[in-house]
Amino acid sequence: MTTLAGRLLATAARMPSAAAVSDGGCRADYATLAASAKRFAGLLQGHGVRAGDRVAVMLPNRYEAVVACYGCWLAGAVVVPLNAQASRRELSAWLAHCEPVVVLVESGSAEAEAAVAAAASGACVLRLPQQRAPAWPDSCDRLESGAAGAGDLAMILYTSGTSGAPKGVALAHANLLANVDAVVEDIGLAADDCTVSVLPFYYAYGASVLHTHLSVGAHVVLEANLVFPHLVVETLAREAATGFSGVPSTFALLVERGVLEGRALPQLRYLTQAGGAMTVALATRLRALLPGVRLHVMYGQTEATARLASVPPARLDDKPGSAGRAIRGVGLQVRDEDGEPVPAGVEGEVWATGPGIMRGYWRDPAATALVLRDGWLRTGDVGRIDDEGYLFLAGRRSDMIKTGAHRVHPLDVEEALLEHPGIEQVAVAGVADGLLGQVVKAWVVARSPGLDENAVRAHCRGRLAPWKIPRDVDFVSALPRTASGKVRRASLAGPVNLETAP
Amino acid sequence: MDYKATIKPFILSNFLFTDDDAAVADDTSLIRGGIVDSTGILELIEFIESAYDIRVAPEEMVPANFDTIDSIGLFLGRKAGGRQ
Repeated sequence: MTTLAGRLLATAARMPSAAAVSDGGCRADYATLAASAKRFAGLLQGHGVRAGDRVAVMLPNRYEAVVACYGCWLAGAVVVPLNAQASRRELSAWLAHCEPVVVLVESGSAEAEAAVAAAASGACVLRLPQQRAPAWPDSCDRLESGAAGAGDLAMILYTSGTSGAPKGVALAHANLLANVDAVVEDIGLAADDCTVSVLPFYYAYGASVLHTHLSVGAHVVLEANLVFPHLVVETLAREAATGFSGVPSTFALLVERGVLEGRALPQLRYLTQAGGAMTVALATRLRALLPGVRLHVMYGQTEATARLASVPPARLDDKPGSAGRAIRGVGLQVRDEDGEPVPAGVEGEVWATGPGIMRGYWRDPAATALVLRDGWLRTGDVGRIDDEGYLFLAGRRSDMIKTGAHRVHPLDVEEALLEHPGIEQVAVAGVADGLLGQVVKAWVVARSPGLDENAVRAHCRGRLAPWKIPRDVDFVSALPRTASGKVRRASLAGPVNLETAP
Repeated sequence: MDYKATIKPFILSNFLFTDDDAAVADDTSLIRGGIVDSTGILELIEFIESAYDIRVAPEEMVPANFDTIDSIGLFLGRKAGGRQ
């Protein structure tokens, strides 16, 4: 089986009535999911989509987003999942860059519609009602053979919204399949597993949770968001979920709000945590609340499909703070400034190789050449590997801000802020936050007095996704700069606590 | 009591950073659109609790009560009705 879509069809033939995806009142078994995906593939072909064409999917996590993803693959198309809560400015940059033939949006999404009108006017726009549509798509177009091969491109995931240089991580079917299989093996997933998914599919981690579970015939239950954490725990209990995945802030919310206390979740057997460093203190409290549940602490990057390393649950206590050891097929090395490997225990930049490493950044050979060398990926993370192969991270070389489940590139925010006529200079960095890990902070040199914090944030509101809007705004008379004139973001943000998992 | 007259300005200034009444409609989903997130919902509930001297019970913290300015107004109306 060379693609995840091929595997889905095989699962549907083998166990047609097993639950595949549940979303509120809609519960689709594997036969239903596969049939819907085939109809969507036929619909795409009917709209002229050919192998290698991009299809932008701008949906929140819902059943139809899963149908669209597998439908794209059955038609041989490249799925581009875009964050439906992003602003029109961000969406426009991505759409212009990936040039989709078809765009799938939720009706009534003004930002998405405006972005499509501005940046993808030639694309065919399919609109999905906000209410669940179990019979969607209603198509009688026959699916012609368009099956993709392992080496063909499957997905583009955008990691930055800067209008000058959107970064689209281009992943082939072989990348996805290899990373899915390595994670399935690492966690020990099987057809009788059931996970409650709160992580967005347009991020690598959420996509990994979805595809790993579907690849073994497990059940994925969608929860739209974490706004009401007790409802997520109720869903875990009601569905007798065996697994749950989150970023550190997901678990911080569950622990801080006390929603796990006194809850019997007898079926729950594994948690996975990735998407940034979780403090030892939080991991300890989480494990105490859920005794007997295995915690898999994982590390990875979108550029590596999703996961690179994992700490076996039995080693959490004797490898506190580790990001894990390489999962199957992955090679990890720590290298010095010249790209030469350093001995065990010595700190340097983390490089990774393996079948999950991306093909490159979509239509950006220069950016690709900076991070891909001889089959190895420069992760931009700094760390050391001990003599047993366990990776310990010490920080990031780049300025990427991790807030909740989101990644924010400071340049995205700085660029938007500089469009305000009252702002002369600006610097953006992440500052520590107890719940979200980091929050976005802006240091502003105003052109004229009278500019206030709310005016700055209101300006951002129209240009950026909600989590990119600076939580704090400081007005300063000048920004700290290096001798060459570059803003020293690190000195603005102050020391960062980079303690990792338990 | 017109609860919306108090709630709407709070949402506008704290989540949308504006006093422009047109920035959010009374029936706009605050959660779907990302206007209110998991930390914002607590700020909103704290505000409501102190403004009206009430306690929002955990089982009342559901989308049906907090997804729109309209639904928050109706929820507060029911709370007040139940107290009388």
